Amino acid sequence: MKVESEVKGDVIVIRVEGDVDLYSSPELRTAVLKAVPRASAGVEVDLGQVTYMDSSGVATLVEGLRSANEHEVRFTLSEPSESVMKVLELARLDSVFEVRRS
Amino acid sequence: MADPAGLRLEVCSDPRLLGLIRGVVRSWMDAFDLVDEKRRHEVVLAVDEACSNAMRHAYGGRCDETVDLALGASDEWLEITVSDRGRPCPPECLRRELPRVTSADDLRPGGLGLGLMRQVFDEVRLCSGPEGGNCVVLRLRRGGKDGVDGEGRV
Repeated sequence: MKVESEVKGDVIVIRVEGDVDLYSSPELRTAVLKAVPRASAGVEVDLGQVTYMDSSGVATLVEGLRSANEHEVRFTLSEPSESVMKVLELARLDSVFEVRRS
Repeated sequence: MADPAGLRLEVCSDPRLLGLIRGVVRSWMDAFDLVDEKRRHEVVLAVDEACSNAMRHAYGGRCDETVDLALGASDEWLEITVSDRGRPCPPECLRRELPRVTSADDLRPGGLGLGLMRQVFDEVRLCSGPEGGNCVVLRLRRGGKDGVDGEGRV
């Protein structure tokens, strides 16, 4: 898995690539929880290149959303891949996140 | 005589091996054309969750323990057993179901793994492993459970 963060205007974009699982999700968690307090308007997690996501990845996104709500910034998932949507649907969390598709 | 389509794996409890386990489970289903393409990803996910639970909860993150997988299939059923020799799963976990969450206020991170397994497989049984620890038996009726909402139980 590869995680890259970039400041784009008032939004911090976190780009994730590869498999998000028990081994790799702590790195994503660190990036998300670091970005939220620093973002002035929002955090966008780009999941277009995610080839696999398990429940630890979902839990990381849940933590990110909760933290963003506390900090009163937006938390958006952009371009979620099919594997991401599948695990969110199975976890019954697909309607909880704000999803952006271009 | 070996079980038809039988495969056994003994894997050390290092999460770096999860990607490899997923690949093996996927190749096993491909080799025997066991479930339809759409469901293969869900089966891989559920098995990954069972292995992750063993590594994270039963072994508390220790990477030098053993996780055993037994994969088998008959005409009617696909059966996958994941066992460990770690700390037994607390009884309250066994009853945990996935809530229907519609608002961020209801969200709780974690505790999703077993719920996901139940969404994918027709039967999820947790018992004591052969040498203590936990044993998760996942059974899927071939051509059964239809779709991701988990409503199609047979």
